Amino acid sequence: MEITISTKTVLFALIFIGLQTALGQDEPEDQRRSGALSKTSLEPKEKDYYRITTVPAPEGILIEGGGVEALPDGSIAVCTRRGDVWIVENPTMTHNSRPVFKKFASGLHEPLGLVFHDGGLYTAQRGELTKLVDTNGDRIADEYITIYNWPLSTHYHEYSFGPVLTPDNSFFVTTNVAFGNEEWWRGESRVPWRGWTLKISKDGQMEPWATGMRSPAGYGLIDGELFYTDNQGDWMGSGALWHLPKGAFAGHPAGLRWTGEKNSPVQLTEEQFYSKIDKRQVKKNGRYVKPENIRDEKNPDFVHDIKASFPELQLPAVILPHGILGISNSEVKVDGTLGKFGPFDGQVFIGDMGQSKIMRVVLEKVNGAYQGVAFDFRSGFQSGVMRMDFDQNGNLFVGETNRGWGSAGTTNSGLQYLTWTGRIPFEMKTVKAMPDGFEIEFTKPVDKASAEDLDAYVGKRYLYKYHAAYGSPQTHMEPLSLKGVKVSDDGMKVRLVLQNPKQYYVHEITLKGVKSKASGHSILHPSFYYTLNAIPEGPKLMVSELSTKRSSAKKKVAKKKKAIKKTVKVNTEKVLTDSQIQPLLTNNTCIACHAKDKRLVGPSFKAIAKRKYSNGKIVDLIYNPQPKNWPEYATPMAPMPQVPKAEALKIAAWINSLQ
Amino acid sequence: MKNSLVSFLLFLGWTVCAQEHLPLKTLDGFKDQAGNWQIVGEVLVNRTIDVHQKSEVQPKNTSKKRKKKRKKTAEAPKPVTYIEGTGILLNMDDATRKDHLVTDWEHGDIILDMEVMLPKGSNSGIYLQGRYEVQLKDSWGIKYPKYSDIGGIYRNWEENPEVKFMGIPPSTNAAKAPGLWQKLHIHFQAPKFDGTGKKIANAKFVSVTLNGIPIHTNVEVPRFTGGPISKDEVAKGPLMIQGDHGPVAFRNISYQLLEDATIDLSSLTYEAYKGDFKGLEDMDGQPVLSKGTSEKIDVHVTGEEDAYGIVYSGTLNCDENDTYTFSVGYTGGVELLVDGKSIIKKNASDARGFLTETVTLSPGAHSLTLKNIKTAGWWPPRLGLYVHSATTNPKLFHTYESFPPSTNSVSPIFVDADAEPRMLRGFVSFEGDGERLPHTIGVGTPTNLNYIYDLDAGNLIGMWRGNFADATPMWHNRGDGSFRPRGAVQWTFLNQSIAELPKVDAPFPKTGTPPDFIPQGYSIDPNTRLPIFKHGYKGVVIEDKIIPDGNERHLLRELRFSKQGLINWYFKIASGKTQRLADGSYAIDGPQYYIKMRSNQIPTVRTVNGEAELVVPVDGSTIVYEIIW
Repeated sequence: MEITISTKTVLFALIFIGLQTALGQDEPEDQRRSGALSKTSLEPKEKDYYRITTVPAPEGILIEGGGVEALPDGSIAVCTRRGDVWIVENPTMTHNSRPVFKKFASGLHEPLGLVFHDGGLYTAQRGELTKLVDTNGDRIADEYITIYNWPLSTHYHEYSFGPVLTPDNSFFVTTNVAFGNEEWWRGESRVPWRGWTLKISKDGQMEPWATGMRSPAGYGLIDGELFYTDNQGDWMGSGALWHLPKGAFAGHPAGLRWTGEKNSPVQLTEEQFYSKIDKRQVKKNGRYVKPENIRDEKNPDFVHDIKASFPELQLPAVILPHGILGISNSEVKVDGTLGKFGPFDGQVFIGDMGQSKIMRVVLEKVNGAYQGVAFDFRSGFQSGVMRMDFDQNGNLFVGETNRGWGSAGTTNSGLQYLTWTGRIPFEMKTVKAMPDGFEIEFTKPVDKASAEDLDAYVGKRYLYKYHAAYGSPQTHMEPLSLKGVKVSDDGMKVRLVLQNPKQYYVHEITLKGVKSKASGHSILHPSFYYTLNAIPEGPKLMVSELSTKRSSAKKKVAKKKKAIKKTVKVNTEKVLTDSQIQPLLTNNTCIACHAKDKRLVGPSFKAIAKRKYSNGKIVDLIYNPQPKNWPEYATPMAPMPQVPKAEALKIAAWINSLQ
Repeated sequence: MKNSLVSFLLFLGWTVCAQEHLPLKTLDGFKDQAGNWQIVGEVLVNRTIDVHQKSEVQPKNTSKKRKKKRKKTAEAPKPVTYIEGTGILLNMDDATRKDHLVTDWEHGDIILDMEVMLPKGSNSGIYLQGRYEVQLKDSWGIKYPKYSDIGGIYRNWEENPEVKFMGIPPSTNAAKAPGLWQKLHIHFQAPKFDGTGKKIANAKFVSVTLNGIPIHTNVEVPRFTGGPISKDEVAKGPLMIQGDHGPVAFRNISYQLLEDATIDLSSLTYEAYKGDFKGLEDMDGQPVLSKGTSEKIDVHVTGEEDAYGIVYSGTLNCDENDTYTFSVGYTGGVELLVDGKSIIKKNASDARGFLTETVTLSPGAHSLTLKNIKTAGWWPPRLGLYVHSATTNPKLFHTYESFPPSTNSVSPIFVDADAEPRMLRGFVSFEGDGERLPHTIGVGTPTNLNYIYDLDAGNLIGMWRGNFADATPMWHNRGDGSFRPRGAVQWTFLNQSIAELPKVDAPFPKTGTPPDFIPQGYSIDPNTRLPIFKHGYKGVVIEDKIIPDGNERHLLRELRFSKQGLINWYFKIASGKTQRLADGSYAIDGPQYYIKMRSNQIPTVRTVNGEAELVVPVDGSTIVYEIIW
């Protein structure tokens, strides 16, 4: 009897707490804990597997998160652009009680990273690596110890990121370049070690480690090795993930200015570099001319070509195609939660500020070098994803800011965390390079019939140029053709055999028709992006082992199709509707930076329509954007010559219909 | 950006005009007075003696005996002494001689600059038109300044509510310590009257700055203030300086009288064009879409947001032979021609800006042509024309909408100490617009005393009272990593301030460099919550503590060394001409501030590379001194 009562009481309490949460008025749609999987008639959504929760900061406290570190006691330390370090107790709001924000330190110079080590919090301010120590146990730092300070020219873009704790208990710090005064587009290293990665010991000894950084906002250790991410920009065709062994040169030439210093591990000089590649530093009428992408360039330079001359030039291990997998990549975080965060244990997560999302990367070593595959993972954060860390329960805490550059998440700051709901999404778990193509492993068995159909796959491959212009279009783009596929007996793996895999290219393949065996759903994120720096040796599959079926071949209704095509063609003369234009905007990555009504990274389509450009002019601007036309936007648009002209015209007509 | 550009240039246009400088060799230009005003060469103030304490004592001395005694005490330090010479206007009032000083000229609109020095406890005032007083007073360290503190617009004592005026306090107290020279800038507009003599605009302080800090901006004064030369309001009146409330000295007085411009623009006509013009010449030969006459320039008569051209023509009528400054604000491209001659030109289609040029015009009619095109959808249509001369206010020849006044809609991000001190690291520009320093920290204290410390040099580079910091430049949008102090900063100098010098006359290093100099950060004092800075120099750890002095008006600095018996080590305390004062303190550079030793090292003055320095030998014993400004 008593037991029953107490159970009831407990139940009541639980229901009460549950109700409180469910009724929380301010929770965005995404966070409502309805618990039910999205209706089976609809395809599942990211939020069905990974839920975003906002940690509410007291009013007036701006958490422009520059560093996030889970502390051993379960609290989260977060450092902010405003120079504070907050320790947040009970950040997951257990029992629906509020998190407690305690100001551990303040007054720091735009700190951009946090590491807890040796009883203190280490952070990189703009000009130094600092250790913050609470010596008297009140959880307020009373020592701000300068471990090492480095020169700055005081240019606004001279951010410093870090630190990363190394296996030998030192720290890595990465440093941004400044930009030119007249050549405001050209990254430059005005004082020593801008555009570098530095290794700093606890007693303040600094060892220059690698250079070639432009805006190295992201970093992390993978297998005990240092990796970093950079953004698209001059000399950076696309954002990507690089492995940084000592002495590496990641591609941006600004830092080469200091390779003559006696402790430089890189020997390549600026002179040597520019003897092989055009600096594009041209004066016209006494003024420098901004280098632009050269359309239909005959022999563009690519990193792998230049690497033949300079072996220290490091190929990106995984390219994160600009506009698709982010526009401003940030933190690199390995899932070491042993399954608490879901089925991707040991894999790599990379944040993005502009697109306010997280991507997933799986690395493998081929011929001794890292390369691998990238997927989309989770979007919808309230601001730019800057820093991430897992707490002991496998929640991924995300410190967010867009630092005035604009982001898909429309707020300027935030501390949120991502929790695995316990459901396994139907995803490609990993993709490995094979001598004749790729092997895809899934999280759940595929429907064999759908996976054996070659029409379920569509792919292309492309390169990014290596030049002084800002960013690069996808170049040398070619469709991939499939020789055949082989589905494993358990349905967990698919071997893709390609007619034409090609070294160095990004291979982008979408599994648009592959269905889950159990639910019939499509893959949650059906595209993968593999950077094929090397093609492994080994046996290839026999053609006899492959399925070469095509569902389209069965339906011999070519005539009918043609007829339909014709009517479609007639329709294209008309302006497409919002829903008709959506796939074009998505495929051509317009939505990475533009939305119909609201300002994101770039202006809204409606704002563009107000300019009353002709359709032809808009197409021209897609191919050759004029960032100076939009002085209030911080991020310049990259040229998009890869957008087919017919599609560009449709997009232009649709934009103009919004007037 | 544009907004600040426009207002900056307008401001510039007003201030570059040649000001009248009062040589202060004689009292010419002032009316006769009782003799309390005189011209002197140098004024020395004993910053510790209150001027009114003395005057209270004086009348009591009647008997001869006491007089004698009194004489003896009178030989004790006086609050103010002076040296014969020229260049400084000094008031030394007493019971019988205490006249105000009145100019023998009158002014309406005026820009006035001067330096003023007040001894402890003294009080004076500048009466614009003899009627509107900007208060001068020793208000050093007052936290909540009133109308009666320095820079306040004084109240009057009328009881009739019609004319009663309660005064306006300065928006912040920018006062310096007694005996220091303080910079005062006043831009005043006289009240305006219509033909019948009816007042149609109040007297207005367009701007008043004290020691570089704005303390009034666009403040109207609806009535005369207390103690006017006359209780009426007029178009012109003399400048008057109060002389009956204690000693006060002035130097570097300059002023500019401003009239309303008489230059006029008549017979204004326009022709509008349509097209994607890339250059101004592209309008040539194009059909005129519309034309007409207008009172003022209005870019919106084209009816277009973009891809337009417009040409205004008219006649300028000048009364006098004078130099006129034309200012054109525009988007797109623009050209201004006077008498067919191009004086301002920006041949572009997508620019914007504010261009200024000065020309001399003879009396009579001159033709004016203003051309404007724009092919830049991202800029709104804008076209404005101002004209002013050295002696006139700017005159606008455009409609409000054609070139609306600039506004700044960014909410500022201020940082202040509350119950506890506030630290803020950021780039800081020395002297406000000088070298940008990379490793600096600002410290704001709950007592409103603030300072900036250069961690690269172990040096206190500036201090101020009042509000702490404006972090808008650092935290708004992308930001530039810098913050600005929000008060009147007393800057010091840029040097590594403690160094071992190879020779006694060797200069101090510009900044600390490893391996000799290692910044070590700071720890927080558990009692004051203020930082104690640390750096290593040649194996010695130097601890540097800067705290508010007990009176909470100035700072106390304490330097400790981990090693004793140091030889050839020196500490540079101050830079600039130095004078030792009667109370043992040192007046620095002007004087702009004082240094007073608390520990017993003896400072010496030396000159290196033409720069005078106050230097203390360092042997490892603790150095303590006060910085008073």
